[in-house]
Amino acid sequence: MTVTTEPALRTRRPPEPAARTRRRSLRPTLVGWSFILPNFLGFALLTLVPMVFGLALSFMDWSPWGDPEWVGFENFERMLRNSTFWIALWNTTYYAAGHIPLTMAVSLGLALLLNRTLAGLGFFRTAFFLPYVTSLVAVAVVWNMLFNPTSGPVNQFLQFAGVTDPPGWTSSTAWAMPAVIVASVWRDMGYYMVLFLAGLQTIPTELYEAARVDGANAWQRFRNITLPGLRPTTFFVLIMCTVASFKVFDLIVVMTDGGPGRATKVLSQLIYEEGIREGRFGLASAISLVLFLLVAGFTVIQFLLQRRQEDR
Amino acid sequence: MKRYPSALAAIAAASAVALAGCSSPASETADPSAPVTLTVSAWNLDKTPEFNALFEAFEAAHPNVTIQPVEILADDYPEKVATMLAGGDTTDVLTMKNVIDYARYANRGQLLDLTDFVAELPTDKIAGLEPFDIDGKYAAVPYRQDFWVLYYNKALFDAAGLPHPDHLTWAQYGELAKKLTSGTTPDGQQVYGTYHHIWRSVVQAIAAAQTGGDQLSGDYGFMKDQYSLALDLQNAGAALDFGTAKTQKVNYRSMFETGQTAMMPMGTWYIAGIKAAIEGGTSSVQWGMAPMPQISAGGETATFGSPTAFAVNENAKNVEMAKEFIRFATGEEGAKVLAGIGVVPAYSSDAVTAAFTALPGDELSKTTFTENKKVVLEMPVSEVTSDIDTILNEEHELIMAGQKSIDDGIRDAGERVKNEVL
Repeated sequence: MTVTTEPALRTRRPPEPAARTRRRSLRPTLVGWSFILPNFLGFALLTLVPMVFGLALSFMDWSPWGDPEWVGFENFERMLRNSTFWIALWNTTYYAAGHIPLTMAVSLGLALLLNRTLAGLGFFRTAFFLPYVTSLVAVAVVWNMLFNPTSGPVNQFLQFAGVTDPPGWTSSTAWAMPAVIVASVWRDMGYYMVLFLAGLQTIPTELYEAARVDGANAWQRFRNITLPGLRPTTFFVLIMCTVASFKVFDLIVVMTDGGPGRATKVLSQLIYEEGIREGRFGLASAISLVLFLLVAGFTVIQFLLQRRQEDR
Repeated sequence: MKRYPSALAAIAAASAVALAGCSSPASETADPSAPVTLTVSAWNLDKTPEFNALFEAFEAAHPNVTIQPVEILADDYPEKVATMLAGGDTTDVLTMKNVIDYARYANRGQLLDLTDFVAELPTDKIAGLEPFDIDGKYAAVPYRQDFWVLYYNKALFDAAGLPHPDHLTWAQYGELAKKLTSGTTPDGQQVYGTYHHIWRSVVQAIAAAQTGGDQLSGDYGFMKDQYSLALDLQNAGAALDFGTAKTQKVNYRSMFETGQTAMMPMGTWYIAGIKAAIEGGTSSVQWGMAPMPQISAGGETATFGSPTAFAVNENAKNVEMAKEFIRFATGEEGAKVLAGIGVVPAYSSDAVTAAFTALPGDELSKTTFTENKKVVLEMPVSEVTSDIDTILNEEHELIMAGQKSIDDGIRDAGERVKNEVL
């Protein structure tokens, strides 16, 4: 990480002719650019250039063995005709619609619970954060075992609680996505809990005391102090969670591999299958362009809503 | 002006280096005794003894060669190799795990053309070469030719007082499986009458082989009876249900070796695996082999099979040595090594048959092996094989997990194949 230092105090100088002023103001700009350049070069070469190239690739037919061939919108037509694309698009939105609100609610709840002095607070915060750093494969394997329709603890508990026909979870087309959502909420809640905790601690406690003195109850304090005070944090968490949800790949592949059938196949997995497994990089780029527009669209909407709220 | 000489010098230096690189001689000049490191892709080395056996035998015959295996987990093998090749990997010899993957790589030009090389081999003795013929060109040579049989646990049959499964029909197979589902293993695991692994070939390929159906056609009504049988056994509890097998990633080897299943249709590659497990002391299963059950009694045994082959990477560094390895592995010396550890080689000769000692001593196992049978290729090779394979696999999962009726699954598979692929 580069450490920026304050520029040295300038002593007053006599006014200068115009040309020299222009050259002098160029220098700080150059200094600024030279600080940014290493990071920007990395971003440009590894992210920006591949993104632009991917955009161009979506209009080409270029397999790892042949020469690139410009095919115009053929990849997009093929993509729209493919039933798996529409299923994957629906699954991705389904997953995001389930994952985002649940994760935010759970992590906010956890942050509120753990934002006080408790015995063993450090232990609890660590315990809730641990799933985020656990090996993904271990998480998927264990959750699959938990969700085992015949001998898993989840169904055994449900049957004990009186449910006569417990769901098939990852072996059922209707319940596979909810199962994956539950596992991923469990996994991500710790990370966003930490972000919310940081946000909660920026709210001055005097506001709470003043509210208590004025006779506000817990719900009113939450609604009128906590939530507005958390707005920047909530906005950030929402953006991060949205982007991560639409891009989900690893947990799905390890837990259900898109199955049963295509019940949990998401867009990233389709991109991987079309691109790497089948070698149709043009088609894969077209699908990733759709995913990019989806995520960008949601993010822009969220930014616009945030700006409108701030202007109020 | 003052800056130009240093720029010119830099350009001159760069071009000198480039030109020097261009003019160096080709790396494969005729020095046969120069030390060579040959990279070969393989899977699960400890469970698949054929690789180490072949590597050691080859290194003994060619002391200047060291073989460096690129070990990949068997379940991930096709996708890992596809990713490697897409990234320009330079592994010299690529093992083709099945013909479907071979078709994929060959159609993409990722494998070196071996047509001339194959012309020099004793092709009349090598079984299973035809699937590797794409438009008259070959890019791989089979070293192993497997077919599917019915493995059974003699101890469980004897304990239940039932005769060994000699040339069964599917109806008889179903009844036996239900009778044999009883009791537990010494570890307390439930014993099933039979185990159907999650691969779609277990149902679809055997149906295609025995009814003459074409898996590339888009008409899949011929699979209906086989699915009915498989689902019937699963619902009756005689076979572990598909949903559990898939989500818990059940391993077919441990199912059979720990005595959790009395019967199991599987390929002949498993002979070497059982042999290694018994010799290594991890299993004490008393196993036997019987022909795959047939639709009706009395006719020729029809089963499906698949050759495993070696191919040379288009980007290989040691092309001549790679070809030499393939010549060894697919010829008589390699075949004898393979037969010795219980793998069915593609190359056949009397010497090779004499070396095959891994079978259990009983008559039924021997007959299964030596009788005349029709071995149909597991999946026909074509440009659309890979896409159809994906569709058939997805519908197979839905049918076996009980998420779709057999008729709906078959109908959807056919529609998808016809609309999206053909």
